[in-house]
Amino acid sequence: MDASSVAEFVAVALRVSTPLTLAALGVLISTRAGVLNIGIEGMMLAGAFAGVVVSAFTGSALLGLAAAILIGAALGALLATAVHVAKADLILSGIAINIAAAAGTTLLLFLITGSKGVSSSLPSKTLPTIDIPLLGDLPLVGMAVSGHHILTYTAFLAAPLVALFLTRTPVGIRLRAVGEKPEAAAAAGVNVRRYQFWALAASGAFGGVAGAFLSMGYVSWFGQNMTAGRGFIALAAEVMGGGSALGTMLSAVVLGTAETISITMQGGGLPSELVQTVPYIVPILALLVHAMRRRRIARKSAA
Amino acid sequence: MTSNALVAFEAISKAYGNGTRALTEVSFSVARGVIHAISGENGAGKSTLMKILFGLEQPSSGRLLLDGGVAEIRSPAAAVEQGIGMVHQHFTLVPSLTVAENIFLGQEQRSGIFVDREKTSRRVAALSKRFNLAVDPDARVSTLSVAAQQKVEILKALSRDIRLLILDEPTAVLSPPETEELFTRLRHLRDAGLTILFISHKLREVRALASHVTVLRAGRVVGDAQLADLDNDALSRLVMGGATSVARPVRASRSVGAPLVALKNVSQSRGRPGERVSNLDLTIYAGEVVGVAGVDGGGQQGLVALLSGRKAAESGTIVFGGRDMKSGSTRDWRSAGLAHLPADRHKDGSAMSMSLVDNAVAGAHRKPAYRMGALLDRRKMVEATRDMISEYGVRSPGPEAPLSALSGGNAQKLIAAREFASAPSFLIADEPTRGIDIAAAAFLHERMRNMAGTGVGILLVTSDLDELLTLSDRIVVMFGGRIVARFDTIDGLTPDRLGPFMLGLEETA
Amino acid sequence: MSRKALAPAIVTIVILAIVVITVMLPLALTTQDPVGVLETFLFGPFRNLRYLGNIVEMATPTMLCGLAVALMFRSGMFNLGVEGAFYLGGLGTVAAALLLPMPWWAAAPVALAAGAVIGSTVCVLPGVMRAHFDTSELVTSLMLNFVALFVGLFVLNYFLRDPAAGAMASYKIPLEAQLPRIVPGTRIHLGTVLALLACIGGAIYLFRTAGGFEARLVGSNPSFAAHLGLPLRRVMVRSAALGGLIAAFAGGIEMLGLYTRFSWQALPGTGWVGVTVAILARDNPLLLIPSALFLAYLQVGGDLVGRNFDVPIEGVGLINALVLLIATAAAIIRNPMLLRLVSGERSAGLTKSLPKAEAH
Repeated sequence: MDASSVAEFVAVALRVSTPLTLAALGVLISTRAGVLNIGIEGMMLAGAFAGVVVSAFTGSALLGLAAAILIGAALGALLATAVHVAKADLILSGIAINIAAAAGTTLLLFLITGSKGVSSSLPSKTLPTIDIPLLGDLPLVGMAVSGHHILTYTAFLAAPLVALFLTRTPVGIRLRAVGEKPEAAAAAGVNVRRYQFWALAASGAFGGVAGAFLSMGYVSWFGQNMTAGRGFIALAAEVMGGGSALGTMLSAVVLGTAETISITMQGGGLPSELVQTVPYIVPILALLVHAMRRRRIARKSAA
Repeated sequence: MTSNALVAFEAISKAYGNGTRALTEVSFSVARGVIHAISGENGAGKSTLMKILFGLEQPSSGRLLLDGGVAEIRSPAAAVEQGIGMVHQHFTLVPSLTVAENIFLGQEQRSGIFVDREKTSRRVAALSKRFNLAVDPDARVSTLSVAAQQKVEILKALSRDIRLLILDEPTAVLSPPETEELFTRLRHLRDAGLTILFISHKLREVRALASHVTVLRAGRVVGDAQLADLDNDALSRLVMGGATSVARPVRASRSVGAPLVALKNVSQSRGRPGERVSNLDLTIYAGEVVGVAGVDGGGQQGLVALLSGRKAAESGTIVFGGRDMKSGSTRDWRSAGLAHLPADRHKDGSAMSMSLVDNAVAGAHRKPAYRMGALLDRRKMVEATRDMISEYGVRSPGPEAPLSALSGGNAQKLIAAREFASAPSFLIADEPTRGIDIAAAAFLHERMRNMAGTGVGILLVTSDLDELLTLSDRIVVMFGGRIVARFDTIDGLTPDRLGPFMLGLEETA
Repeated sequence: MSRKALAPAIVTIVILAIVVITVMLPLALTTQDPVGVLETFLFGPFRNLRYLGNIVEMATPTMLCGLAVALMFRSGMFNLGVEGAFYLGGLGTVAAALLLPMPWWAAAPVALAAGAVIGSTVCVLPGVMRAHFDTSELVTSLMLNFVALFVGLFVLNYFLRDPAAGAMASYKIPLEAQLPRIVPGTRIHLGTVLALLACIGGAIYLFRTAGGFEARLVGSNPSFAAHLGLPLRRVMVRSAALGGLIAAFAGGIEMLGLYTRFSWQALPGTGWVGVTVAILARDNPLLLIPSALFLAYLQVGGDLVGRNFDVPIEGVGLINALVLLIATAAAIIRNPMLLRLVSGERSAGLTKSLPKAEAH
């Protein structure tokens, strides 16, 4: 591998990691508030769809992005309402949101375009890419880190911001208290349900942005089920990240890199199908290692 | 009321919807600037009274005076507003947050949108200096010892500018030196002008710390005096009550058989405080009832965990029915002849959402009696359940109803029927009649006595001293994870005699 | 049965009807002929034998997947590997039928057995990891679904692919391995009988065998199961294995019953429908049958509308999602006021009459 293909690889890895990072940060926010958002997959899908449709009809990529954020947040709020008001099961409701998003986007796509597969007939917009001044002019490094999509930079900036939010702001600290020990939060006058509601809405908003990247960054069309399980990988990234925003981002990058390897190795002799399992096997192994370590620590501290 | 009273309870009563009376006409007052102890057995009404004072519950009748004026405290927030803080027995701290974050949760010090960490740390430092409670503001709570966490809880309460601090059984989780340290701090706080309500059933500690004690029993005030005016005997008599007069059934002299379960020098230092035990020596013979007395956290739970296979012994030997059971599993113990009535019948003793039949045969379901080829013989299971229902007088809507449809006493009878039906050689009865009606309790007593008569060895763990003295052939008392007294006969034994051992005031064994 | 005992069922049916109307009515109104759309959706499936047959064909695999889900949920495991197990089971069955030399009479049974074992791994691995390492079976099973998909595509591409088939598809499934059609005029195959038997067997297992009894005990109160000395880990792994075998078997009979080649390029979604079927049936194996038939009826109605009116059948997916959401919504389906209203009873105390869908 020569230097320029390394730079190329880094660029692809950053691109592939973008939606995973955004979605995983969304999962992190809800999980820290004590509500696992398994519906993130569906929220991404809905965001991807809304971005394409709204940008096509308004001619504005920004409005498309706003729609993606709104639909994600609305689905998050719906999930919270189902659980808190209708007393539905959190996990099953999340699955229901995934099913509904898959069916709903296909349905609307057909009603709007007459096609069930892709939205290529829609003149949808894409969000811009950004060239970093100076850095972008460097050979290789510029190739690797400059000229990326605006949402890629957003994702990697979002991680430290989420970290700051969770650890340094009153709202973030209360949110963690709600997730970790609701009775302690309630005793301090924190409204547990309200925090969980907004956490799920925020989680959905992140999912929406992640989806918008898929349909307005990667490519400029929406395809049926185009998220392809990335929301679930984001769930795994959050678990691997051990509850911190930076850890979650790193895990998302590790999984994104695994996916990148699987993309670049296709045609490299190894059967592409087997290589494609890598992004899904890595989290399983990581969880296993994580669980075994946790167990060893538990045993030690009991002694 | 004296003008010096900070709090006065006036004829406070509390009855619950289901008819339970937790408090009856409780009246007493707490003077300003003192440490006032509230003592009594489990279920005496101490925590209900404190919940009322802290706004977690409302009295059914009676009133509460603060500074001589009537106060209605509707919520913990209102209590805090009135200057009342409480440190619960189970801490309400968030483990992954720092000490400072916990103390100021909900009332964060801000600068812009962020928490001002420096200001927070400074305020914590100031608080901890003012009250002489040293803590590291930036340490994560999960890394702290229980004693340090308690300090954080106390600081959290103090940070809200309170004048009355309620401590609910604060020493239950502490070792003796930690307890000493806590007491020193509390005396400091008192000297600084704080009034402290100290809830405890450990009389030695009450004596060491408080100047005044109010004793509750069965929801009523049975004693309210300066500690200087009470000696140890008088105090433990107040707490334990007059159980001495219970008519004891004349029992046939029982022939005690061979050794059944033998523990030699058994220790287990892991687990929660109440589960740790050290140097236990105990032999249970066939056909006898060995009673275990002790206050909460005395180590009885540890003993039960060892003898039911829930925990393995760290050192020492345990033999049951001739087999080495030092690290036997629950399955090993059960197949060797154990039956076990657990203290928490909801959590461990039953599946409330499943039917009476399912609960009645669970554990015995692999027995040939219930089999029909590869299948379970449902008819026989229902039949067996019906037999249990009629034999034990379980009042139920029918064998297919969920167990949750039964009252506590009836559910316990069915659980007992299941355990006793396994024809055990050894029975652990852990709080067998707690929270059930008198008739059901009497019935279970009768059953257990009969079982002992047929050669079953029984370990009876109970906080009900009447029950203990009624059923036991001999008694051991546990305190701090050790056996501190043995009474090889119960003739002439009274709660008064047991009290000082249970409370850690005396020790013979 | 008394009105009181039927009340939960009646509430469920009424709510299902509302859900169907809520989704289908606006969809129908987007077309030229809303009445025709609704009529076709609701009554079309009953119009002829072939459509009725379609309902049964579609209910067959979802019934089995529902059974797999129910057995695992009942034992307290949130294992979602059913989707992957179904896919891999179908592939494994076809692979065995194509690659193993067998006498004609053994072809179908051996292929189905091999497929079931291969596909079950998708549920078993998360189950074993949960039992022994306490990892979340939810996340691991979701990941393994995709691993199953890609491993399946690999096997399809490298070992089973028929270059003459044009698209990516396996060689033709040998005729002797195919399951016989049993109702003339429909495609209903022997697999349907097996599925019905499996549901009955599942009910017998759960409610009439020691193993099923233990699974229910562990699922409804693990602490109690431990108190009784039951082997919790073994019970968990056993439930995962059973669930995996059944879901994979469903994939196998789907292949041998309805297809001539294996050509699934993506996860077919049958496992997810199985989750809805199981939740709607309250994890009761016998209720899986009407529950699966009901969802299949909606699917066939949706297909007919899609074919005749240019309305996409995905509306049915929305109904599925809403059914799943509402079937778990305790505040709606177990609302004491609603139940009392339906049973015409004034007293309380009915709220606990339904077994809760055992989660976590």
